Amino acid sequence: MKIHSKKIARYSIALFVIFSLNFIIPRLMPGDPITNLLGEDYVMTEESLQELREKMGLDESLPIQYLNYWNGVFRFDFGYSYHFKGPVSSIILSRMKWTLMLLIPSILFSAILGSLMGSLSGQKSSSNSFKALTLIELAFYSTPTFFLSLIFLYIFSFKLGLFPIKGFYYSGGIFDILHHFFLPISIMTIFLTSRNYMIMRGSVIQEKSKLYVVYAKAKGLSDRQVLFKHIFKNASLPLLTLLALDFGFILSGALFIEIIFSMNGMGNLIYEALLSRDYPVLYGSFMIISIMAVLANAFVDFLYGIIDPRISDSI
Amino acid sequence: MTHHIEELKKLAISKLNLNSIGIIIFLLFLLIAIAAGIISPYNPWQRFEPYTRPNSSHFLGTNDMGNDILSELLFGARVSLIVGFGASIIATILGVTVGIVSGYYRGMMDEILMAITDIYLMIPRIPLIIILAALMRPNFWLIMLLIGFLWWPTTARVVRSSTMQIRDTSFILSAKSLGFSDKHIILSEILPNINHVIIPKFMLTIASAMFSEASISFLGLGDPTMKSWGMMLNFAFMKGGLINEMWWWYLPPGLCIVAVVFSLMLIGFSLEEKENIMLGLE
Amino acid sequence: MEILEIQDLNVKFTTPIGEVYAVNNASFTLNTNETLALVGETGCGKSVIANTIMRLLPQNAEISGNIFYKGNNLLKISDREMEKTRQQEIAIIFQNPTLSLNPLYKIGDQISEPLFVHKKISKKEAFNKTTKLLKTMGFQNPSKSYEMYPHQLSGGMNQRVILSISLTLNPSIIIADEPTKGLDNELVKDIVEEFKTVNKINNSSLLLITHDLSLARELSDRIIIMYSGDIVEITKTESFFKNPLHPYSKILLNSLPERGFNPPKGNSPSMVNIPKGCKFHPRCPHKKKICSEKIPPIYSIDGGNVRCYLFQ
Repeated sequence: MKIHSKKIARYSIALFVIFSLNFIIPRLMPGDPITNLLGEDYVMTEESLQELREKMGLDESLPIQYLNYWNGVFRFDFGYSYHFKGPVSSIILSRMKWTLMLLIPSILFSAILGSLMGSLSGQKSSSNSFKALTLIELAFYSTPTFFLSLIFLYIFSFKLGLFPIKGFYYSGGIFDILHHFFLPISIMTIFLTSRNYMIMRGSVIQEKSKLYVVYAKAKGLSDRQVLFKHIFKNASLPLLTLLALDFGFILSGALFIEIIFSMNGMGNLIYEALLSRDYPVLYGSFMIISIMAVLANAFVDFLYGIIDPRISDSI
Repeated sequence: MTHHIEELKKLAISKLNLNSIGIIIFLLFLLIAIAAGIISPYNPWQRFEPYTRPNSSHFLGTNDMGNDILSELLFGARVSLIVGFGASIIATILGVTVGIVSGYYRGMMDEILMAITDIYLMIPRIPLIIILAALMRPNFWLIMLLIGFLWWPTTARVVRSSTMQIRDTSFILSAKSLGFSDKHIILSEILPNINHVIIPKFMLTIASAMFSEASISFLGLGDPTMKSWGMMLNFAFMKGGLINEMWWWYLPPGLCIVAVVFSLMLIGFSLEEKENIMLGLE
Repeated sequence: MEILEIQDLNVKFTTPIGEVYAVNNASFTLNTNETLALVGETGCGKSVIANTIMRLLPQNAEISGNIFYKGNNLLKISDREMEKTRQQEIAIIFQNPTLSLNPLYKIGDQISEPLFVHKKISKKEAFNKTTKLLKTMGFQNPSKSYEMYPHQLSGGMNQRVILSISLTLNPSIIIADEPTKGLDNELVKDIVEEFKTVNKINNSSLLLITHDLSLARELSDRIIIMYSGDIVEITKTESFFKNPLHPYSKILLNSLPERGFNPPKGNSPSMVNIPKGCKFHPRCPHKKKICSEKIPPIYSIDGGNVRCYLFQ
């Protein structure tokens, strides 16, 4: 499978810019770079500042610091967290699997649900029942995940007692994990489904006026066949693109759910780091999320190339 | 086949309704934001007995500091809407400029601007704002600026593609051949003709900005001197509003966010959809 | 023998700018093995007739009248029956072949699609039938062409793909909606040849919708002239080119290159502000008082039919 060289260049530049941003921000911001780099937890307590500066290489010139920084990046060294007491990269990686466990099933479920409902609604866009559905989906789309989590937590955990209040896995058994993940995955799925629904509906409305659709109908296909044999595939391309482009936004949605449910993923890691001003963890998370976003884009490009023959020919 | 006509009339009517429901809700909140000082029962910073249930003097009770929640809510409309509008104005000006320049001039300029846009799109925006807000001490204007400067790329893309569509139409070409300057063509020929994509996008950007402000404030990164709905939620969550089942504390600000974002999306999407349906008829 | 009979067909669209009367009181027949050309300027309603026969008009169209195909009224049968009729009985070819094809599917799969939709057929049979069709339509290496996508072929080749599709189920009628619009002369010649091939192997009736009189002369047996939603003349093609009846027909003929290429004077009428009486009267050199008052009926004159008071 060939991948567009221009795309690769673009992704590399994106990562370069994001990583450089990560270097510049702590040094550019008001306040002592050492505080900005190590976090307030640490600087308040130990060692003299000068010693620290030397140890961190902060008395070097900026270009040297920049080279050292890249050296660290390539060794996957994102610094040390004094709050969590460990290397940032391994802390993040250990938390990430829980976030992915929330994210991946939700993305899959919502892709199926949202694209099916959205395409049916787009084809019969003037039907009143689909309009009502659109209003409901739009309302879910307007609800921040953390607020939906608060409401669900209140109804299903506090009032009905059906699910645990906190998302920690107790025994670690598979059913226990499922029990804890049920509400968060449901919320994430509802949120993403509403998003996919709106995108797919709009995309089908745009696509259905094209000539190939009229021609498919002229070939004797029923409305259902026209939708699922023709329009669906073409209309799902924008959905795919937006899934990748908004990956950061989607992931952020998951992080907020984790915070409300006190789950063990990156969301709470970032939240704790924020409360204790543990900057290395924040920078590291930002970088890892960026890498994930770029990888998501590359993966979607790959899928796009398989689905749309015009793309692979344009290389 | 006459029932099709009936259906079309119904469609026209309900389209109108959907859009106007959105406009009514939005105007209501706009009015609240403007008149907060008049209609609010108390100063949102005034202290009463904390943690009171809703009663005749405090319709929505008081919070942990003893502030009247209803007054906080009404003044919060002002803060949340200003952030949304301000950020969206910045993002729209940037996006429209980038989009028109790259769609109109094409060539190298377009390549470079679109590369920048694509790279911008890949930066995870919420995590970046979290870092910047954490480093810089929470400030209302800062958050508005940050959102504004990070939210322009999608507008740029939409504007670019519609600019490209009308760039080659006969009236633009004739304006060119008549020797009008690019500046004149862009401002008086192109801009008015892509209004129909800019306005819904502007509305959707306000919605997205308010949504994001609420999320960031919920993490406690909001401006402590300007209480937005997101911050009210943050306090309600942090100070035990949820666990103590004080629904009057965390439910109203959340519902307000949902209502305003919903109304804006309703306006934005129905404008966009009308556009699509009209195009479909051609 | 007639295979398609259209009676008093009226089509009206309700649009944001008002009601558009696209087709008024159109009646004509299409005979078996006949090529009938429906000729007129852009916007005269000829394509609307094609889409009405196929029931492909958008929802804002209001239709009255009858369209009888082999005794069944196509405007009355159920959606399911209409689906069976499309492609199996009546196939349509649109103006833009490349846009008619789905960009994401191989052309071979798009040609064989009607086989799977309408018939129970094995993949192998469908493949054989498709490659055979591709071969007859002039593709040198059919099994290789099967794997191609529309964007990899020229517009002319896609036109042949579309023709292959219309032949998959040997329909009784093929409707071709402006098959040559926007094409250069060479391609038009190719298309004329292709239609002749189609006629040879399929032996069907062809309803040719075009603005191109030379194409109509080349292919058709009879000719219908439309002006602003009205049929103004129906004649044998041969006599039409010798002796056109309607004043508009004369003007149209004079626009042919061999007759000095005189394009019709005046503007084609707008679809919203329609002149009263005969719609052609503002541009007519022979107009009388009555022309602006009442729409003329159709008069029969030695084999031809014409809607004009000159033949009263």
